[in-house]
Amino acid sequence: MTNGVPYETAWQNYQTGSSDPVQFDDSSKESLLKQFHPDYQTNTTTTLQIGANQGDVCQRQLAQVLQSNSLIDEVDLAGASIVDTDVLIIGGGGAGCAAALVATENDARVILTTKLRLGDCNTVMAEGGLQASVGVDDTPQQHFEDTLRAGYFKADRKLVSQMVMDGPDVVRWLIQLGMQFDQESEDPFASLSLKRAGGTSAPRILSFRDYTGLEMMRVLREAVTYRPGIEVWRSKPVVELLSNEFGHCAGAAVYDMRHRKLMLVRAHAVILATGGIGRMHLNAFPTSNHFGATGDGLVLAYRLGAKLRELDSFQYHPTGVSYPRHLAGSLVSEAARSAGATLLNGLGERFVDELQPRDVVAASIIRECEEGRGIDWDGQVGVWLDTPRLEQQRPGILQRFGSLRHLAHKCGHDPAEKPFLVYPTLHYQNGGVVIQRNGSTSVPGLFCAGEVTGGIHGRNRLMGNALLEIMSFGWRAGVAAAGLRHNAPHRRLTIEHVHKWQRELTLAGLPLDNHGPQLYPDYANFNLRAHIAGEI
Amino acid sequence: MTNQLNQVLLHENNQVGSNLEAWLANGGGEGLQNALAAPEAIIKTIEDSNLRGMGGAGFPTYRKWQFVLAEKDAEVKYLICNGNEDEPGTFKDRLLLEKTPNQIIEGALITALATGVNHLILYINPHEEKAVEAARQAVAQWEAHPLFASVADSLGRPLTLRVFLSSGLYIGGEETAAISSVEGGFPFPKKKPPYPAQHGVHGQPTLINNVETLAHVTHIVKHGAEWYRNLGVGQASGTKIYSLSGDVLHPGVYELPMGTSLRDLVFEYGGGMLAGKEFKAVFTGGPSNTILTSEDLDVALDWDSVQERRSRLGTGAMIVISEGTGIVKRVTEYVDFFADSSCGQCPPCKIGTRQISKVLRKIDTGRGRRAELDHLVNLGKLLPGSGRCALVDGAVTVLNSSLDKFKSEYEAHLIDR
Repeated sequence: MTNGVPYETAWQNYQTGSSDPVQFDDSSKESLLKQFHPDYQTNTTTTLQIGANQGDVCQRQLAQVLQSNSLIDEVDLAGASIVDTDVLIIGGGGAGCAAALVATENDARVILTTKLRLGDCNTVMAEGGLQASVGVDDTPQQHFEDTLRAGYFKADRKLVSQMVMDGPDVVRWLIQLGMQFDQESEDPFASLSLKRAGGTSAPRILSFRDYTGLEMMRVLREAVTYRPGIEVWRSKPVVELLSNEFGHCAGAAVYDMRHRKLMLVRAHAVILATGGIGRMHLNAFPTSNHFGATGDGLVLAYRLGAKLRELDSFQYHPTGVSYPRHLAGSLVSEAARSAGATLLNGLGERFVDELQPRDVVAASIIRECEEGRGIDWDGQVGVWLDTPRLEQQRPGILQRFGSLRHLAHKCGHDPAEKPFLVYPTLHYQNGGVVIQRNGSTSVPGLFCAGEVTGGIHGRNRLMGNALLEIMSFGWRAGVAAAGLRHNAPHRRLTIEHVHKWQRELTLAGLPLDNHGPQLYPDYANFNLRAHIAGEI
Repeated sequence: MTNQLNQVLLHENNQVGSNLEAWLANGGGEGLQNALAAPEAIIKTIEDSNLRGMGGAGFPTYRKWQFVLAEKDAEVKYLICNGNEDEPGTFKDRLLLEKTPNQIIEGALITALATGVNHLILYINPHEEKAVEAARQAVAQWEAHPLFASVADSLGRPLTLRVFLSSGLYIGGEETAAISSVEGGFPFPKKKPPYPAQHGVHGQPTLINNVETLAHVTHIVKHGAEWYRNLGVGQASGTKIYSLSGDVLHPGVYELPMGTSLRDLVFEYGGGMLAGKEFKAVFTGGPSNTILTSEDLDVALDWDSVQERRSRLGTGAMIVISEGTGIVKRVTEYVDFFADSSCGQCPPCKIGTRQISKVLRKIDTGRGRRAELDHLVNLGKLLPGSGRCALVDGAVTVLNSSLDKFKSEYEAHLIDR
């Protein structure tokens, strides 16, 4: 990346700059993406050598963890205690909570385990809102079409149609749980306020201020905490799934950080709700994701034989903070652009229609920076997100964006006076584990919900569909998993699949000393062996 | 070294599936022709070949045959070709039945000529669907073939050949249980005597041979006893199918000269230990035998050499365990298998195996106490010989062997260690 326009010069250009409307040429979209979007850069990908997706293209860093050896071996299972439950849910975010609530409503005993704490997740980071076709002029059909189009028609239509049909019910359910949404006026009976998101044909975004996900997680966490039948475990990462004699998923090996010991959970069904991979920092991108987003679910499911999809497709949110460095990757909500904030380069020019889908906007920002029109501020490069002019046009609007003001405060400026310096940030994993409509995977007994799954967003996700997806598929997986509770208990709890995996690794000439899943980001310097031994 | 692999039974020319024409074109049928020419010489040939029962017991085949031959007065005699195979770690019979059913049937016909049995029953585990299908197709072709009629003529009595689906239960592989099954009953083992050779199916003399044994018969009668003896290493004769599984790089079915060393099987043919781990132990012959450890790596895998190490070759199953694998968990799984497989008619077996399993599980999951370990030791002394068949003895053999060789592992899991 060239350094771009020095900050002082850029600031002058900004003050004098125009904000002429941009005529975005649709025909150049493809070449723009090809040239500048990280997904299209073939030098960062490889093909998988083993597993259900052998031969598929995959990001190199991801391939390395997918083709890793297990963190544990049989000796670690010796003497480990066994805990029985109907449904084991791995992950303490929105999808995991939705699944837990629905599974208990279906009379299943649930253990929800999280490696951090309940609610330490990306759901709380979702600022923009939730898409559901509840508007007068809107239909699930339009929502369906918008979702498919945004994903380049690569999504699984069965999954998308079910999700959009679930939309209105999700909103009703969340309101019943106590969630608040913005309304059109102060009147408590006023209609829900709907906003338009990039790439959609109708106003369909329901939000609460600019911390919709946080509000959603607030009610989910309360419900999960007080619901009898759900046992919540914290600081207990899953280090390996367990298989029975038929290779079906039979539970998981869970590490108890506090007592430094492994235990085995035997479950009729396991739901992976482990979220995404942002903290793997693919290709050294900063990320908007929370500390635990290290792709554990993909690694665990793949080793047990589950099929994955779109492993080379990720979403880069256009407006992550670029300066100061220690906050790099933190998200400025899409709500700012929805409300009318523009993007300006170092010459003070607009360069993209800000309401284009995220991949196009992100690629445009990367283009500006790579071609020297970005702004260089102490070595951090980005473009302006013009909040001051938004405030001038719609006085008081920034007051409604609590997260944005909070972030500006941390960055040390007033958003009404100074624009943010932004650059795309690794935001979302478009692909993931292949699922059926009920969340089931190609491995019997293993279900997935939320960002860990693939097929719902194709190769690009629409804003607001993530919060809808975690609810819709969290429910479905919860119901289907609870349905297995009357099965005979698994007789054997083994890691036979790991032995099979080690055989494949050896035959493919892949290293056996590369262990996964990662559990925590590289810079956390966590090592399971050392932790068990009490050395860290 | 690999030129010693799959020389006879699993030779690629023999793996023609149920196709009888292809089997005969590749040299099949010659053994049967030899047998038809001189039926009375067969038993002597088998005796000279040192062929022993491949189903696990290793009993000399010719002696079993002599007992049945001696029943001259019986109008009707049965042969049960035992392909019930169900124990963990053994997967040779299903492969033989699926890939080479013709050599088994030919072996059965030769056996008929040698002993006078006239009802031949392929007793197959119904869970092995491909094996059942291949056997059925092969039977249909043999019945229509002139060789079949020649055997009937030579016997002078009606000859039948059919596939019988066993219950699929492990216990159904036991000789007397197989007889009950063929009679239409539940496969409850019975007390011996009377022995099957005198009083088997419907009270008639009955011979029970493992399908691998019968497959060997075909080639012995074709090539002669001396040829067969020379296939083995040292004093051992012939070849053996070893089912190799567990923590090795290349698990699978290997037909090798009888007496191949355990080291060669694991490290040459099996590709060595998985993930570069250290060799720890082998559960031989399926789960019901004494465990071999790294001290026994150079043992020749034949009946007598393995027995000298106070273990048994059994079915030729070798389940390899690496360092890093807990013995207690494995033993628990095997005892569970026996507990599940117990037919339930003898209380010491029915309750004893469950009891062992319960205590093992407690120790394995870190909840056991020293007194419970003593409990196991004492059950190991009390239970052997208390059942009509050897099932409970099998469970106890594994337990005692693991206590003998790996007691420290048990102790490491105890609460009050």
